[in-house]
Amino acid sequence: MLRKASLVSLAVTLIVIAGCAEPPTQQIQEAEKALKDAQESGAATYSADEYAKLEGTLTTLRKEVADQDEKFTLFRDYGKAQQLSASAKADSERIKAASAQKKEEAKAAALQAQQVAEEAVKATQDLVAKAPVGKDRAAVEAIKNDVEGLKSLLKQVQASIDKEDYPAAQTQAKAIHDMSQGVSIEIQNALAKVGKRIPTKKK
Amino acid sequence: MALNLIHKTLAAILCVICLTGCVQAVPPDLFVALEAIDQDLIALRAPEAAPEEYGQFVRQWISLKARVQLDDDLIRWPWESSDLENDLRRLYVIGERTVSQLHERHASQHRAAQAKVVRLEEQLHTITSKVESIDGRILLGEKGVQTDLLVKQARSFFEQKDFQRAMQAAEKADHALKAQALLLSRELGRYADESRITYWQTLAKQTIDWSRIHQSTAIVVSKADRELTLYKGGRKVLSYPVRLGFNGMLEKQFQGDGATPEGRYRVTDKRGQGQTQFYRALALDYPNSEDRRRFELAKKSGKIGPAKGIGGQIEIHGADNALLAQTLGCIMLDNSNMAVLYGGVSVGTPVTIVGALTRENAVALALSELAQPREEI
Repeated sequence: MLRKASLVSLAVTLIVIAGCAEPPTQQIQEAEKALKDAQESGAATYSADEYAKLEGTLTTLRKEVADQDEKFTLFRDYGKAQQLSASAKADSERIKAASAQKKEEAKAAALQAQQVAEEAVKATQDLVAKAPVGKDRAAVEAIKNDVEGLKSLLKQVQASIDKEDYPAAQTQAKAIHDMSQGVSIEIQNALAKVGKRIPTKKK
Repeated sequence: MALNLIHKTLAAILCVICLTGCVQAVPPDLFVALEAIDQDLIALRAPEAAPEEYGQFVRQWISLKARVQLDDDLIRWPWESSDLENDLRRLYVIGERTVSQLHERHASQHRAAQAKVVRLEEQLHTITSKVESIDGRILLGEKGVQTDLLVKQARSFFEQKDFQRAMQAAEKADHALKAQALLLSRELGRYADESRITYWQTLAKQTIDWSRIHQSTAIVVSKADRELTLYKGGRKVLSYPVRLGFNGMLEKQFQGDGATPEGRYRVTDKRGQGQTQFYRALALDYPNSEDRRRFELAKKSGKIGPAKGIGGQIEIHGADNALLAQTLGCIMLDNSNMAVLYGGVSVGTPVTIVGALTRENAVALALSELAQPREEI
């Protein structure tokens, strides 16, 4: 008799415990927040594939919670949801760190390219000061005009860096560097032809 | 005893059958194949190039992976169907189709971007040479280098296989090229203006008539053709190529603008060796009363800043010292030609400088080519 009563109470306890299963709300919120943090760190740009997978995990998590919510109270089991939340949170943090690192690398590369471009423009400017103001005055003025243009383009590189568009900044800086070199070669060729110049008068 | 042995043997056989008959819910090679599909999609930059398709795939893939990892029923009887395996097979088919579509799209984007970038580079090259031919490089100011930058950016993004950004840069460059053509057309449009050309032709004709009537020498300079022609008794005696100011195609407005003036002038002074740094020079009476009137009008209307001067010392000169030769608005000839011209003219010789003498002048032709509708970038 006593044994029977124990079995009944055990069954009731189990039912109560099972009936009390609650979704891991806090863990889910933490996972959602971790995803948002990862996105803000540039994960969608710098770790696009992993970020997409992370979004997939969150979708799966939401579906799992919804599936369990639909079940009869006694049969709900949020164990998988808990596992998914934990895994999403851990992955988010890892991706956030990786993206931040990749972003820093892209920034460093853009800054490096910017510096190289600035130096190239400066060198070209110095060379323009020695440019022949001789026979082809129009060409020299055109070169000066181009150098002014290059100086102005450097501002665009800075604007791209400010917008954190590092790939654009890098391509701009590279183009400016190439163009500066082109102008420098143009001046050097002119210098080689006619030697050092004497300043001219204005008209 | 024997019966016991038979029972044991049968039980063992049954166990073996059961164990060997059980299969895994998901064949490992299917899982590996899906991993490979995912890698293919990443290699095709699907997360950036086709975020929707990749998102759809990856959501299902993650969900199924989670089921594979979390499901307890990983072992099943061979005759049991597996929903998980079926779902994975379906996803494999979808993934394979997406990879194939992306391959095609990637190849097509590659072709399209390549064609655009190459066409753009060709157009830039053509336009640059046209601009050079009409001394328009300075006129374009920073627009020239800005366009160049965009074209180079398009090339860089293309080489990085970022076709979307390559296209964006190409489109911006195309707009910049159109803006260049518009600017040149606005600044130099008078070279294609019939009434202006008629006016210039009249000026030149009057100068030639004067030469004929007075049986004297007269000079006509056509800026578009960069040509100086000497007339004697109304007849063409010689023609020489000339260089103009660095903004020579423009009409002179103020000191230092590098433009060569247009109008009727006279030689006011002949400067021989020692009197000029340019081998020989024929000083002109710029600014004349018409230039002053125009200058004052432009100043009043605010077209020219109040601090600007009208300039002067416009000459037809040679290049005695090649290192010093300059054309800040003057008309420059090679020394041998200058020597002949210098000997052929006297103080008072009329010098008429016009933009162009024909409708098919070099500037008008270049502008017309620049304005021609180009293939859309």
